[in-house]
Amino acid sequence: MKKLIITLIAALGIVTGAHAAGADTLAWDKAPNKLNDLPALQNGAKLFVNYCLSCHSAAFMRFNRLRDIGLTEQQIKDNLLFSTDKVGETMKAAIDPKQAKEWFGANPPDLTLIARSRSGHGGTGADYLYTYLRTYYRDPAKATGWNNMVFPNVGMPHVLWELQGEREPQFETRQENGHEVKVFKGWKQLSPGIMTPLQYDAAVGDLVGYLQWMAEPAQNSRVRVGVWVLLFLGVFTIFTWRLNAAFWKNI
Amino acid sequence: MAEFKEISPNATATAKLVNWFDNRFPTAGAAYRDHMSEYYAPKNFNFWYFFGSLAMLVLVLQIVTGIFLTMHYKPDAAAAFGSVEYIMRDVPWGWLIRYMHSTGASAFFVVVYLHMYRGLIYGSYRKPRELVWLFGCAIFLVLMAEAFMGYLLPWGQMSYWGAQVIINLFSAIPFIGPDLSEWIRGDYVVGDATLNRFFAFHVIAVPLVLLGLVVAHIFALHDVGSNNPDGVEIKAGPKDANGKPLDGIPFHPYYTVHDIFGVAVFLMVFTAIIFFAPELGGYFLEYNNFIPADPLKTPLHIAPVWYFTPYYSMLRAITTEMMYALSLILVLAVLFVIVKTRASGAVKGLLVLVAVAFLWMFNAFGFTGVGLLQGIDAKFWGVVVMGASVVILFFLPWLDKSPVKSIRYRPGWHKWMLAVFIVDFFVLGYLGVQPPSPAGERISQLGTLFYFGFFLLMPWWSRLGEFKPVPERITFAAH
Amino acid sequence: MSDTPVDASKRTWLIASSCAGAVGAGFAAVPFVSSFQPSEKAKAAGAAVEVDISALKPGEKVTVEWRGKPVWILKRTPEQLESLKKTEGQLADPNSDRKTYPTPEYAKNQYRSIKPEVFVGVGICSHLGCSPSDKLQPGPQPSLPDDWQGGFLCPCHGSTFDVAGRVFKNKPAPDNLEVPPHMYLSDNRLLIGEDKSTQA
Repeated sequence: MKKLIITLIAALGIVTGAHAAGADTLAWDKAPNKLNDLPALQNGAKLFVNYCLSCHSAAFMRFNRLRDIGLTEQQIKDNLLFSTDKVGETMKAAIDPKQAKEWFGANPPDLTLIARSRSGHGGTGADYLYTYLRTYYRDPAKATGWNNMVFPNVGMPHVLWELQGEREPQFETRQENGHEVKVFKGWKQLSPGIMTPLQYDAAVGDLVGYLQWMAEPAQNSRVRVGVWVLLFLGVFTIFTWRLNAAFWKNI
Repeated sequence: MAEFKEISPNATATAKLVNWFDNRFPTAGAAYRDHMSEYYAPKNFNFWYFFGSLAMLVLVLQIVTGIFLTMHYKPDAAAAFGSVEYIMRDVPWGWLIRYMHSTGASAFFVVVYLHMYRGLIYGSYRKPRELVWLFGCAIFLVLMAEAFMGYLLPWGQMSYWGAQVIINLFSAIPFIGPDLSEWIRGDYVVGDATLNRFFAFHVIAVPLVLLGLVVAHIFALHDVGSNNPDGVEIKAGPKDANGKPLDGIPFHPYYTVHDIFGVAVFLMVFTAIIFFAPELGGYFLEYNNFIPADPLKTPLHIAPVWYFTPYYSMLRAITTEMMYALSLILVLAVLFVIVKTRASGAVKGLLVLVAVAFLWMFNAFGFTGVGLLQGIDAKFWGVVVMGASVVILFFLPWLDKSPVKSIRYRPGWHKWMLAVFIVDFFVLGYLGVQPPSPAGERISQLGTLFYFGFFLLMPWWSRLGEFKPVPERITFAAH
Repeated sequence: MSDTPVDASKRTWLIASSCAGAVGAGFAAVPFVSSFQPSEKAKAAGAAVEVDISALKPGEKVTVEWRGKPVWILKRTPEQLESLKKTEGQLADPNSDRKTYPTPEYAKNQYRSIKPEVFVGVGICSHLGCSPSDKLQPGPQPSLPDDWQGGFLCPCHGSTFDVAGRVFKNKPAPDNLEVPPHMYLSDNRLLIGEDKSTQA
């Protein structure tokens, strides 16, 4: 068995070596983990409703589920109800999908599950979103005037530009494998936003945290229940192990 | 009524009730005795013998969770995706039932692959258990169909495009292919019609077949008795005063209690995944499936679910080049038979004719450009190879010519053959998940050749080497 | 099998495992049984309904749907309110004491409502579920007694109710019309489906 496993690992090693990681876009940053930070999630919910719901829907998310992140129904009704007056309704976008397709070239996708669907080799969906929302740059060649480092030629404008300000990526050319490559070096702030870079990163962290929570609202209780289930099963396993031993003692 | 068993009027109420029942339904008691309390199984079952009962457990889990999912799921292309999210968010504890079912599907294949591996290493497929193995292979095939159809139901991008690709495979069959695919789909592309019929198959038709096959599998096993890690037939050994094999013990209570422990450990792993990592890195729940199906937009990277990937690799490995390689191997094999064997001239002549026919079908003469000599292209042969890679398992009892059943008493290098086969299976599986690449293609082609060589050459290599003496009695160390 | 120590350990672990197993099975059953409960979608569809009754004139009745049921809002005239005293003797449950469809505390009065003029009741007969027809006009009419004061008549089996939804004696229907939980958000805004006790 041991030999089998070692050979297996060795073979996998050979094969994975042949697999190149084709990165023509920026590597994803790690999104901060805010799933247990209720104030952060609430701030993220506020940002989501104010900035995203105008064009994007979250068709599977009910407003009253926001109670799970510590908001009361009254708070939800007063501050967050958008495009409806019933707190049990789902988050529909303000925009008409046909018009959106006309204006942006594609219907802005529903965001309920975006943090789950965008996961990939580069990291989790949250990592992708965290990087995406922080790597917009001014590009006069585009219809919206904006482009993005992890989603080149994206049809979405930089909705949060007032918070971040305008930036431009800096590249340096290097020789690699005999030909020239442009390597990303850093950002140049062209005009300031309302927030400092640190504040903006924190705000985006909150928003992405909210998106991550919204993609699976049951996740916090899932983990909590799981701990108890596993503890119980641990005890049960010990019982059945001793039961088995008791029967097989004389065989 | 004359055959009714009498019971003393002084017996307890319980005893009288049991007697009343037993007189009218003796089958129940007989079944309990034949399959549990009087079914003598070898004493020396080890770790590899847990997976049969675990497979039954997972089957029950899938059926129960499946029933509850069907209460809320909507098999309509416009509503299916939404109904799954409805289960995840709006149905009380729906998320748990959904994760149990998705994790259970993958767990089913893990358990079944390990169960088959046990059969492989201990020769459980050999006489007199060939039929047990055949029923088992049928279960495997039916399970693959069940999983494939179930995967369409969430109607995500992977569901849709995976189904589209696999059903299109049938269109490779000459003459009837495209019509066959359309008949399976019920439409020009995978759509609502396909979803509805796959739902009917997945929920009731195939599970019924699966249950029937499982019953046959277990009954066929119990009729001849279980194998064991030493490959020694306990029924051929010494018996006790009641005629029961000395090397055996009653399944109940010894193996019921043993299997419950196995269940407990399995449940720990199972629930750890459900509660802490239900997506399991995108292997148990694929990321692309969180996007609703879009018939107009194929995702960048379609791969089947992990448990199909070894076979998918083999499908992808069959390129035009590979067909030339296969043609060459066929020619060499026929030459070998002609030169080295003592078959009659007539048989050899017939063999050459058959080989030429196959070479023609393999498109080996296609390079001449002559219309009539064009064979069937690699796309079809890819499908054939993928099917053959599963079907070849059915033939294992007749391919294995080793004088010894269990790997324990075979020459040491047989273990290496098996190890390479398993590694090959894993490598093919891994490559199936990756996007195609030149290196990957070569490796899967070599992997495919080894996979088939392992089986097709088995009548020869399984007889080679120094076999160890097989003991008369099972080797058993007291617990 | 007469070694007592072996038996004892088997028995101990058998009991321990069975108890743990039973407890585990019980807990495992909870999610499945709970999944039968109304989902968030059903609860959202069954949410409270707000009605503006500023335009409601005396003698007028408006019907709104709540949880799939018709809820009547009747602005009663002074004559209709007077008639309630006259029907008392003919009613099966004049004080709404029966417990099948308990009348909320705020409606346990002579008018069966929060505001005397505005009656709020579910328009479903307590017999077998048909919706009674309006018979608000007093006086003799087919299927109604000569001293009919005004109320409702169920067409299916003939049960009758007064303008406070109270059922008459000797009719198939056993209970008064249900008064749903409701409250006034303001003088003219009525919320049906919620009251102070059901609010989060």
